[in-house]
Amino acid sequence: MTEINFTFDGDGITATDGQSLAAALTGAGRREFRVTAQGSPRGIFCGMGVCQDCLVSVDGTPNRRACMTKAADGMTVETQHAFPELGTDSRLPETPRVRVLTPDVLVIGGGAGGLSATIAARRAGADVVTLDERTVEGGQYYKQSADGSLLDAQQAEGAGLVEDARASGAEIIRGVEIWGAFDGPLVLAERDGAALIIRPRTVIVATGAYERPIIVPGWTLPGVMTTGAAQTLWRSYRTLPGRRIVVCGSGPLNMQVALELADGGAEIALVAETAPSPFLHPLRGARLSIHGPALAWQGLAMLRSLRRRRVPVRNGLRLSAVEEVESGLSVTFRRKSGGTHTVQADSLCMNAGFEPQNEILRLLGARMTYDPAAGHLRCERSETLETSVPGIFAVGDCAGLGGAPAACAEGRIAGRSAAAQSGHGDAYDLFADQRALRRHRRFQKALWQLHDVSPTPVGGLPHDTILCRCEEITVGDALAGYAVTPGHLGTLKRATRVGMGRCQGRYCGPAAARLIVEHTGEALTDRSFFAPRVPVKPVAINAILAAEEALCSDD
Amino acid sequence: MTTDLLVIGGGIVGRITAFELAKAGARVILVDAAQNAGSTANAGSLHVQMQSRFIRIYPEHAPNVERALPYYKQAAECWGTLEACLGDMHLVRKGGLMLAESAGQMAFLEEKARREETKGLDVALLDRAELDRVAPWIGPQIVGAELCRDEGKLNPLLANMQLAKACADLGVTCVTDRVEGLVVTADRVSAAGQKGHYRASEVVVAASWGSGALVRTLGIDIPTAPEPLHMNITEACDQRIDHLVQHAERSITLKQFKTGQIVIGGGWPADDHGTDQVPGVRAGSIVGNVALAARLAPPIGALRIIRTWAGMNTTADGASIIGRLPGVQRVVMAVPGDAGYTLAPLVAQMAASIVTGRDPPADPSPYSPARFAA
Ligand SMILES: Cc1cc2nc3c(=O)[nH]c(=O)nc-3n(C[C@H](O)[C@H](O)[C@H](O)COP(=O)(O)OP(=O)(O)OC[C@H]3O[C@@H](n4cnc5c(N)ncnc54)[C@H](O)[C@@H]3O)c2cc1C
Ligand SMILES: Cc1cc2nc3c(=O)[nH]c(=O)nc-3n(C[C@H](O)[C@H](O)[C@H](O)COP(=O)(O)OP(=O)(O)OC[C@H]3O[C@@H](n4cnc5c(N)ncnc54)[C@H](O)[C@@H]3O)c2cc1C
Ligand code: FES
Repeated sequence: MTEINFTFDGDGITATDGQSLAAALTGAGRREFRVTAQGSPRGIFCGMGVCQDCLVSVDGTPNRRACMTKAADGMTVETQHAFPELGTDSRLPETPRVRVLTPDVLVIGGGAGGLSATIAARRAGADVVTLDERTVEGGQYYKQSADGSLLDAQQAEGAGLVEDARASGAEIIRGVEIWGAFDGPLVLAERDGAALIIRPRTVIVATGAYERPIIVPGWTLPGVMTTGAAQTLWRSYRTLPGRRIVVCGSGPLNMQVALELADGGAEIALVAETAPSPFLHPLRGARLSIHGPALAWQGLAMLRSLRRRRVPVRNGLRLSAVEEVESGLSVTFRRKSGGTHTVQADSLCMNAGFEPQNEILRLLGARMTYDPAAGHLRCERSETLETSVPGIFAVGDCAGLGGAPAACAEGRIAGRSAAAQSGHGDAYDLFADQRALRRHRRFQKALWQLHDVSPTPVGGLPHDTILCRCEEITVGDALAGYAVTPGHLGTLKRATRVGMGRCQGRYCGPAAARLIVEHTGEALTDRSFFAPRVPVKPVAINAILAAEEALCSDD
Repeated sequence: MTTDLLVIGGGIVGRITAFELAKAGARVILVDAAQNAGSTANAGSLHVQMQSRFIRIYPEHAPNVERALPYYKQAAECWGTLEACLGDMHLVRKGGLMLAESAGQMAFLEEKARREETKGLDVALLDRAELDRVAPWIGPQIVGAELCRDEGKLNPLLANMQLAKACADLGVTCVTDRVEGLVVTADRVSAAGQKGHYRASEVVVAASWGSGALVRTLGIDIPTAPEPLHMNITEACDQRIDHLVQHAERSITLKQFKTGQIVIGGGWPADDHGTDQVPGVRAGSIVGNVALAARLAPPIGALRIIRTWAGMNTTADGASIIGRLPGVQRVVMAVPGDAGYTLAPLVAQMAASIVTGRDPPADPSPYSPARFAA
């Protein structure tokens, strides 16, 4: 392992080569990365490039996401202030490199679903390009470690998938920020300032999900992060988010990550699950073991392992507030049975379900329906996983939560179908994968019945709770804005700036959409949520300039 | 619902009209479809000098615009009064720069400035050295600019909210509904909405692109074609760009809000998905509009665009439409036409004064709908 050195606000930081800036800073005990317009410190929250709260300035370039930027020897990293100085250099950047790609199949996302689709489409003979935003391979479930070491069977299985995809002959490009998707289809992206212009025949969207937070007073404090963010710190960068950790929310990921962090040497002060104990629902537990005996068994084994490590696992605790105290964070839960429970820790991990990263699908016009059980939109798809837009396929969690085994099966189906649509193979005999997929879906349905990812009504939160992290809008601000100009989510946004920040409403949007229906009583639909708009993620003006030069010479 | 006065359209014109009427003592209902308002999508430029985009795209409307120059100047001044009376709108009036990249463009600006000066505008021509002093961020290819000191900028979202609050304070009843037709009888006017019926002694139509369809139900043809336009916004940086920035030949407006964000627009097209769907963003518009901004102001290149959107404008026939419909009682029009946010306070105050019979702030006769008489 090579050591590297960089500075953060003038202090020397030592890291291992391959670590993200976020991991390197966390390892060095630094967790405040930026300061908001109202003067609050922020740090890592999502760990996957979505929340935009980990911004730092790198070698003079403002607003770089520490979680997506690799630490490099000699870097000058600084705390990001809310109003960075606009440089005075009035020269235009040198003409950047440009690539125009015209594959048969474009796969967006290199996780379980995307890699499986890549392999299937390539094996059918299609010319495949696969793009992924991260530099570390494998997506979320199969995320690899930056130094190539293998932590467990899950990572080893992922390594196999990554290797098969690489060997398939598909062109896999990492570190690519896709920011535009238009009819055609035309996909615009950047990589290190260079423009990628992609005009594929078919597209398989496999962008996965991000985590649903628990919006409570104090959820923006440095040290509070999603469970997945903590998992990435550990699985990919062998960095622990803290020494004494509380994990809370609902779903199997929390228990798994608690176990991983405990094995990594952290003290897990508490694993708090919102749902009541599964032993209170023996029928639901039985259903789970019928639909996926192996996975159900894994769940029980996980619980036993936690017990063996003396990690307290409590059901029926709902997070209600986080406060900063001298020793770190004071975390308060409400008991289902009444009363509160408070724990001290230096970091808090939260996961209350998932939100699909469906921006590209919605931009391309794919039809969505609201799934009340999962609390998010699902993409309408055919048996071959084609969306309502011909030539656009969707696989994995971006189409609605389904889990990694389902994502793999969907990837294989869509990969062959997209290849066939662009003239390679016949996508005949998909039965085995379709059967497997039905089994995985039944398991997922049973699994989530044991958990409680129902969001707390926003209207019931204390009024000074921050609803929109980016713009620092409180629940009280939102309610006051709604009172002056009632209407829909768009009206609320324009009245209060909810959802206008850098994360583009990914965290406050679903909550604010619920706040509206709490008032109107209308049902949630695709149009209840923020309209999808380019850029899919914030994109540097110079990257757009590069794309313009490419498009002008391409036309 | 029955009331004294009805206002249809709750954009900035409708809200200021309702505010003025309520202030004069009337009971007012404001009915708004809450869809595709230009007022919630616009860039907040207070335009006074002639916009090159307009002259180029609608040359046949240029004489109307030139005649109306003093009226734009007066409207920009109205915003100062409104802000003083209603609260912060982030209004800044440090002038607008129109940049030239060639001697030919500079010559065009010289001729334009000469004509604008005769209309009473406060304009000056700046060479590169003078420009460097007031705008050190401009690209190397810029040779000079016209400065119009009457221009400015504000944050329309704040202004919209201040007006919404002022209307609420004066007891204006706001209803979300889309009006489908108007019927005028001897003693009143009735509006049929999708959710309800509204009756009043008079109605002000301030429905922008929706106005033409409304008065067509009364047999009058007024062109208010919807024009979907594109916008971009960056994340915040320190306050550096004071002016409203435009280009002598190309479509662009660029300015920095007090939030520190840079807003880039200037009339690039968006896809029309019908008036009850939001317009779609085109690849050519985000790419073309932002790349042009990067060339005019290279230091902004490191900032990120965080959002684009599109909204509906209407330029009507190039001039405002203010006043009573020809041959129809009880219907007053209030449609601003091009640069309608700038013009809104003046348009609204003129329309309100026609209803209340008070002295108008400016002579509305050049903008009379009489020009559309069958
Ligand atoms: C933080 C996190 C941690 C998780 N950990 C676990 C776990 O340990 N165990 C478990 O069972 N489930 C986990 N899940 C659930 C898991 O995502 C799914 O079950 C499974 O990985 C779905 O596969 P997928 O291919 O749909 O998505 P993913 O594997 O998430 O892959 C999506 C890929 O697309 C890329 N991408 C997204 N948007 C873009 C874009 N605009 N441009 C380019 N690339 C893009 C992402 O970087 C990612 O590599 C986790 C989810 C999250 C969000
Ligand atoms: C993207 C964009 C940028 C712009 N930038 C600028 C700028 O920088 N400076 C400037 O001066 N101007 C600008 N404009 C123009 C300006 O925004 C508009 O001219 C102005 O806001 C019009 O105000 P309004 O109140 O007349 O209409 P709008 O704000 O359009 O409001 C009309 C309202 O009427 C409603 N409506 C329509 N039909 C009906 C019906 N039948 N029943 C009930 N309600 C109905 C609509 O839903 C809407 O809410 C821009 C416009 C756009 C689209
Ligand atoms: S932690 Fe880096 S973007 Fe969320």
